[in-house]
Amino acid sequence: MIDVQNLRKQYGDLVAVDEVSFTAEQGRIFGLLGPNGAGKTTTIGCISGLLKPTSGRVIVSGHDVVTAATAAKRHLGIVPQELALYGDLSAAANLEFWGAAYGLSGDVLRRRVDEVLALIGLADRSRDKTSTFSGGMKRRLNFGCGIVHSPRVLLLDEPTAGVDPQSRVRLLELVREQAHTGAAVIYTTHYMEEAQELCDRIAIMDHGKLLAMGTLEELRRRVGEKDLVRFAGRFDSAATRALETLDGVEVLTVAADSMTIAAVGASRQLPAIFAALASAGADIRETTLSVPSLESLFITLTGRELRE
Amino acid sequence: MRFVLVAAAKDVKRRMADPAALAIWIGIPVVLSGMLSFISNSGGGPPRASVLLVDQDNTTISRLLPGAAQQGSTPIDITAVTLAEGRRRIDAGKASALLIVPAGFQNAVVGTGSATLQLVTNPAQRVLPTIVQQALEVLVEAAFYGQRLFAEPINRVAGGLPQGPPTNADVASIAVEVNQRLASLQGVLLPPVLSVSVKTEASTEQPLNFGQLFLPGMLFMSFLFIAQGMSFDVWEEKREGTLTRLLTTPQSAGRLLLGKLLAGLAVTSAVSLTGLLAAVMFFDLAWWRIPGALVWCAFVSGALMALLTLLHLFAGSQRSSEMLSSVIVFPLMMLGGSFFPFEAMPAWMANVGRWTPNGLGVSRLKDLLYGDPSAAAIALAAVGIGVPAAIAFAGAWRRLRSFANG
Repeated sequence: MIDVQNLRKQYGDLVAVDEVSFTAEQGRIFGLLGPNGAGKTTTIGCISGLLKPTSGRVIVSGHDVVTAATAAKRHLGIVPQELALYGDLSAAANLEFWGAAYGLSGDVLRRRVDEVLALIGLADRSRDKTSTFSGGMKRRLNFGCGIVHSPRVLLLDEPTAGVDPQSRVRLLELVREQAHTGAAVIYTTHYMEEAQELCDRIAIMDHGKLLAMGTLEELRRRVGEKDLVRFAGRFDSAATRALETLDGVEVLTVAADSMTIAAVGASRQLPAIFAALASAGADIRETTLSVPSLESLFITLTGRELRE
Repeated sequence: MRFVLVAAAKDVKRRMADPAALAIWIGIPVVLSGMLSFISNSGGGPPRASVLLVDQDNTTISRLLPGAAQQGSTPIDITAVTLAEGRRRIDAGKASALLIVPAGFQNAVVGTGSATLQLVTNPAQRVLPTIVQQALEVLVEAAFYGQRLFAEPINRVAGGLPQGPPTNADVASIAVEVNQRLASLQGVLLPPVLSVSVKTEASTEQPLNFGQLFLPGMLFMSFLFIAQGMSFDVWEEKREGTLTRLLTTPQSAGRLLLGKLLAGLAVTSAVSLTGLLAAVMFFDLAWWRIPGALVWCAFVSGALMALLTLLHLFAGSQRSSEMLSSVIVFPLMMLGGSFFPFEAMPAWMANVGRWTPNGLGVSRLKDLLYGDPSAAAIALAAVGIGVPAAIAFAGAWRRLRSFANG
């Protein structure tokens, strides 16, 4: 288990992580969802012991990562956002090295290397230099190096960034398998779909703060039954005022060329919405309607889209 | 400790995967030395022996000796000097040999006495004095047979020349007589009455040949290249993300650095051993000097790696790190006796160079390879190199985490 308590990381005046607290349980996947720059990687850096927190505590399997760093790190497995492999060594040599870095040796190490090579689908390329691998193969090996020592807590920092769809599916399967073996998994991503598909609990993060946390159902309930409607075109304040007269409609964001609203039963209300916008002089070129999701929650909470 | 070995093995494997870099580290010093050798030997033709001649006989025959010795393509230049001047110049190492022709030399040649030529050779030179000695021995042999065969005509020449050049009748008479003697030659063999005694000036220093002179500098040039390349690996690991990942493992930054140091020592030791074995085979190095030299090479190259690692860790970027290390390493090579031996440098430069880390290393390595190494001098140099290196290592250890996160 991993317990993060009031974690804060500050660089001068910049607060990268602001009083973040959460707990990740064994056998569960905890998602940290947020846009780039939200503070996810800094949080992972503090949990992994790479960065020293300004304040707060991180407890990994009962060990404080600052005061008992070595003991805490033994239980951690990390899959960094950027590839961290020795390109001039083979896949097996990479796994052997990272296994040895976590204290494995002899037969145990050899057995684990073989198991992980089979797990990540690289058994037939085990003696090839990593530099000859495709991007997806490298991602899988990067993942393998993080689990070779069977960690109790696995930190995954956007492991699917830049991965082809096939490798992505395989990586997500591997993450689930790790949770099934009993590891507590912390998974950071800015892909809403991944978080929805994979995580048992999700924390939404932006500007270093946790904005919301809970299971997918709990978070959906926070959005309510409102659908999300996005318009592209030309809008002004008169359009906002016109929409606010309608029941169950909430304007979330407005810009000169776009507008996002939340509406209960939006599909039924669309004629009234179009009429209100037309009466206000708005010019609509494109309309998109989506059901309640983490993304709509993120927009509701932050006033901006997840991928902005 | 196990992880230190694992990390070192990993770095050695990575180096082996890039044999071109290894070849460059070892090849550049060899090529540079070859070029320097070529440059230093070009333009002046083959080296010539400089012989100082002290003629205490001062007779016709003794005066013929310089001409006889220099005839043909013999690479010998003879300069007549007084005994005192000759002694002074040979003691200062400014000639290949000093040849003393004693009084009575002509009498010995014409068969009425005996004489001993004395040849004093320069201990700092090996090849040229040998050439002089062999040339002189040939002359003595020739004089001996000439004496046995042509004592009378020689005597006539020796006695007649002071009154002026021989007449045509004298030359014809001598030629006829020589011809008759040659015709009647039946292989006369008698013990020679002339002999050469060779005396080499006593010296505590062994003379060094070219290879011996350049070997320590070449080795240290390799060590500097290897230290520069392998310490730069911290930037490679940072770029590849492996350094950051390593710092999230239970292993300390110190173990990681020790692993890198050990890998560097493995590579430099392999280079040292190869160079020293080559020196045993080609440069007359005594094999029993290898273990001490290996330990010293490993110690100094490790120190150089520690110093350069600290430098890399404080550089602002990968590029500035490369430039900064080159700006430091090349002058160190130049001053520290790698491009030119200290013996070939201006005195002030050699004095400065001997106190650089690699210069200290080169000086003591020469002692270990060719001299009588003083334990005190070795210990002093070890402290002089080891203390800054230990401080640099501690600094690198401290710096590594912020470097990885920077």
